[in-house]
Amino acid sequence: MPLESPRLRLGIVAIVVVSLFAALLARLWYLQVLAAPQYRTQANVNRVRTIYTEAPRGRILDRQGRVLVDNRVSDAVVVSREELGSRRAEVVPRLAEVLKMQASDVQKRLDDKRYSPFKPIPVATDVPKETIIYLREHQSDYPGVGGVQLTERYYPYGSLGAHLLGWVGEINGGELATFKKKGYKEGDSIGKSGIEKVYEDDLRGKPQIERLEVDSKGRVLGSLGTTPAVQGHDVQLTLDLDVQKLAEDSLQQGLAAARGSYDKQQAKHFIAPAGSVVVQDPRDGSILALASNPTYDPSVFVNGIKPELFAQLNDPASGYPLNDRAIQGQYAPGSTFKLITSLAALGHGMIDTKYTVDDGGKIKIGNRIFKNAGGEANGRVNITRALTVSSDVFFYTLGNQFWLQRSQFGDAMQDEARQLGMGKKTGIALPFEAAGRIPDPDTRKKLHDQNPKAFPNGQWFAGDNVNLAIGQGEMVVTPLQLVNAYATFANGGTVWVPRVGAAVQDQVGTKLRDIPPQAVRKLVLPPEVRDPIMQGLQGVATDPRGTAVGAFAGFPFQTFPIAGKTGTAQAGNKQDTSLFVAFGPTTDPQYTVGVVMEEAGFGASAAAPVARRILESLAGKPTHPVNYAGGGPD
Amino acid sequence: MATASATSVFPLRKGATAAWRHIDLALLASAVAIAGLGVLMVFSATESKLREQGLDPHMYLKRQSVWVLLGLAVMAVAVTVDYRVLRDIAPMLFIGAFFLLVLVLSPLGSSTRGAQAWFQFGSFQLEPSEWAKLALIACVAAYCSTHRGDLDGRRLATVLGLAGAPMALIYLQPDLGTDLVFAAILIGVLVVAGARPRHIAALCLIAIVGMVAVVQLGVLKQYQVDRLTAFANPTNDPQHSAYNLAQAKAAIGSGGLFGKGLFKGTQTNLSFVPEQQTDFIFTVVGEELGFVGAFTLLALFAVVVWRTWRTATLARDLFGTLLCVGILAMFVFQIFENVGMTMGIMPITGIPLPFMSYGGSSTVANFAAIGLVLNVHMRRFA
Repeated sequence: MPLESPRLRLGIVAIVVVSLFAALLARLWYLQVLAAPQYRTQANVNRVRTIYTEAPRGRILDRQGRVLVDNRVSDAVVVSREELGSRRAEVVPRLAEVLKMQASDVQKRLDDKRYSPFKPIPVATDVPKETIIYLREHQSDYPGVGGVQLTERYYPYGSLGAHLLGWVGEINGGELATFKKKGYKEGDSIGKSGIEKVYEDDLRGKPQIERLEVDSKGRVLGSLGTTPAVQGHDVQLTLDLDVQKLAEDSLQQGLAAARGSYDKQQAKHFIAPAGSVVVQDPRDGSILALASNPTYDPSVFVNGIKPELFAQLNDPASGYPLNDRAIQGQYAPGSTFKLITSLAALGHGMIDTKYTVDDGGKIKIGNRIFKNAGGEANGRVNITRALTVSSDVFFYTLGNQFWLQRSQFGDAMQDEARQLGMGKKTGIALPFEAAGRIPDPDTRKKLHDQNPKAFPNGQWFAGDNVNLAIGQGEMVVTPLQLVNAYATFANGGTVWVPRVGAAVQDQVGTKLRDIPPQAVRKLVLPPEVRDPIMQGLQGVATDPRGTAVGAFAGFPFQTFPIAGKTGTAQAGNKQDTSLFVAFGPTTDPQYTVGVVMEEAGFGASAAAPVARRILESLAGKPTHPVNYAGGGPD
Repeated sequence: MATASATSVFPLRKGATAAWRHIDLALLASAVAIAGLGVLMVFSATESKLREQGLDPHMYLKRQSVWVLLGLAVMAVAVTVDYRVLRDIAPMLFIGAFFLLVLVLSPLGSSTRGAQAWFQFGSFQLEPSEWAKLALIACVAAYCSTHRGDLDGRRLATVLGLAGAPMALIYLQPDLGTDLVFAAILIGVLVVAGARPRHIAALCLIAIVGMVAVVQLGVLKQYQVDRLTAFANPTNDPQHSAYNLAQAKAAIGSGGLFGKGLFKGTQTNLSFVPEQQTDFIFTVVGEELGFVGAFTLLALFAVVVWRTWRTATLARDLFGTLLCVGILAMFVFQIFENVGMTMGIMPITGIPLPFMSYGGSSTVANFAAIGLVLNVHMRRFA
């Protein structure tokens, strides 16, 4: 056939047409048979919108069941963007006026990407009932505007226990990435600190899940079913509301008293910017109070904190009120460390009660002269006496002896400190706990070898041991570690993980789970070790020459005998850190109280009166305002 | 041929009556079946939307039924008059169509979705470009058949000039899709009419280069470029151009082998596929009737195309052959482009699916085209 033949050319047309139809059929087979499941899912995703509404969180209770963190219902004005539609520009300014808000703030809320477009957005909370009624009566002027009741966090006692309880905020990108598997969604709340963070899984409820059928324009056609919300579980703490309040008030008064006193060394008033108090039950490690000052009001975080307020809370000028100094503050323990030095010396048999040192107010070790803090001479003292009067010379001598006999006793003071839980997080169920630091010759050498520039001094000298023996130098502890160590001594040797959560229960009070006390280890404290130390510590508050005798004048020792130790720690160029740790009653210790106050002077003057007020109240006596006490260095 | 000897049985004077005996029932039946299915699908696509707007849910059903009936009437006329008359009046039809295309660009025409392509008569619309397709087929077939397969460069240029004028007007509307149909018709008719292979190749090359240039040089509005390129880049911009495609594919794919059932398509009932009763009508078939239904529809189209091709081979003169080839090219291109676009293998353009998409002008014009093919078929001996 010639090329010009229409028949041949029609044949070509036929081939083209058959190919095109074959291509359509092949594609159709792919879409509807091979890839059908995938497209079926896509079609379903298209038409179903799932709306999550967070459940109310569980409450946080004190040991007696009193509610520390609650939920409350707030009347809120919500706006449905879908219903508002094109009238937005006209309605928003009018609505803002009624709500006494800036129109731009209302706009900002409406543009908040955290909210599902199918979910009405809360633009104002705690709106007066009359306003909501007004809006309802004028519904045609306010399309899409409605009133609902929102559940939000409520703090019946204001800032009480704020650091320990923590706050709740909107989940951030990092948290979302970590917790996506647990079903968190953008815009969800999550515990950010304190108990709210640690017991998040218990406190958080199960969200309400509603499946809506929508059309292509996103209009809701109906509900395909709702799974109701389940409120989170309540967490009961070991904390005692009364003791917490007592601790916070006493600390506040103590800091104020310190600020009103004159520092002769630095020739100015004490700054006393911050402090903390720990009250623990030494029998099982339960925390009764954990106070940190300055503090903050957790209710500012409800419904999202204002950025300027958050900036203020993180401004150095405000003294970092969000920091929980009881577990995050790290301080040189000063003379309160003498308990550890004593335990090391007696426990290793380096000395006994017959061992004495003639305290002439100073001692020469190597080429250096070490003096008592106040320069006074205490005469010949044994370990009991040395604790009571806080003889530095006695403990300088022990520090030196440990160095001289290192081949026999090793780093006995450091070992003792580690045994008591220092230099390592205690494991309390609170976030961001600090570990403290225990210096020793090996660590120092290692640091120097790794980075000679940052650590120019790689050698350990006798003087380092001497300083460590009285809790100075590089040694730092958190107030909680210090109190926990004294609690261990008080209870006869059990190191507890400080316990703050007691139980998890449901809304009607049925216990779901106990959070039992947890022992880390048991130390052996034979009477020949414990008794002389106990006697020395009791003398601190009762002996006429005890360092805290002034602060404890008139204390009911007959019914509530106590033992304690003052500490005054140097902190570089700053004013001294004031420390006091005590426990009582010594016959059967039930409370360990520790007070640490920054830039507040002698332990006997600032911290001891605060501890006294707390112990006096725990002893069942009426309390008196805290005054700055007399007394000297230790 | 066996059939040729059979015709001699009938005396010539009975030609008119005898011709009716040779009507192609298969073609007629499949075209009517597709149109019937089309009415049903248009109803399914629009029923829930109309109900939601508080309008008569049967509105589109009724209108499309009227169009089909009108189409059948026009088809009857197209069958009755001997198609050879068309060869004589083709220039006049062409001039008439050209005039209407000019007129539609004047303020007398109406515009919808950015294209000035309609005359509005009350609630009814007339789209002259649908009729211009048939006028072009008739005119090009007539010109090529008078030169009996000898298309040198000069004559080819004449044909191109002839087709270029209405294409330019349609481009001004702008309606790129219909221009592409014109190009397909032109190439189909020229191939069979005997254009030189190198001319055909050059023509195809120009068409491709032209398309690329049009897209690249910003002659098109951005939305047109987006629609054209969405099939190649479906994840881009899911709310707009690619959105149409993604939803169309989801509708067809989710139909599976047997479909979700008539009136039960969620993509359809919840209005996820835009322009579903017109350009995306195939997605309703795919979603509600599944692979079985969509295959059946394509098979019916295949029958229409096959019978048209067969008529082209049987036609008693070259004009009849070229007329059928032009119609075949028009149908095949529209089917492939429209169905292909809903499945994501062709660019998105506003081309209706013959006999299926809602619309008066295209439905009636398509039936007129079927009428012409039937006409050629039954007069193949006379």
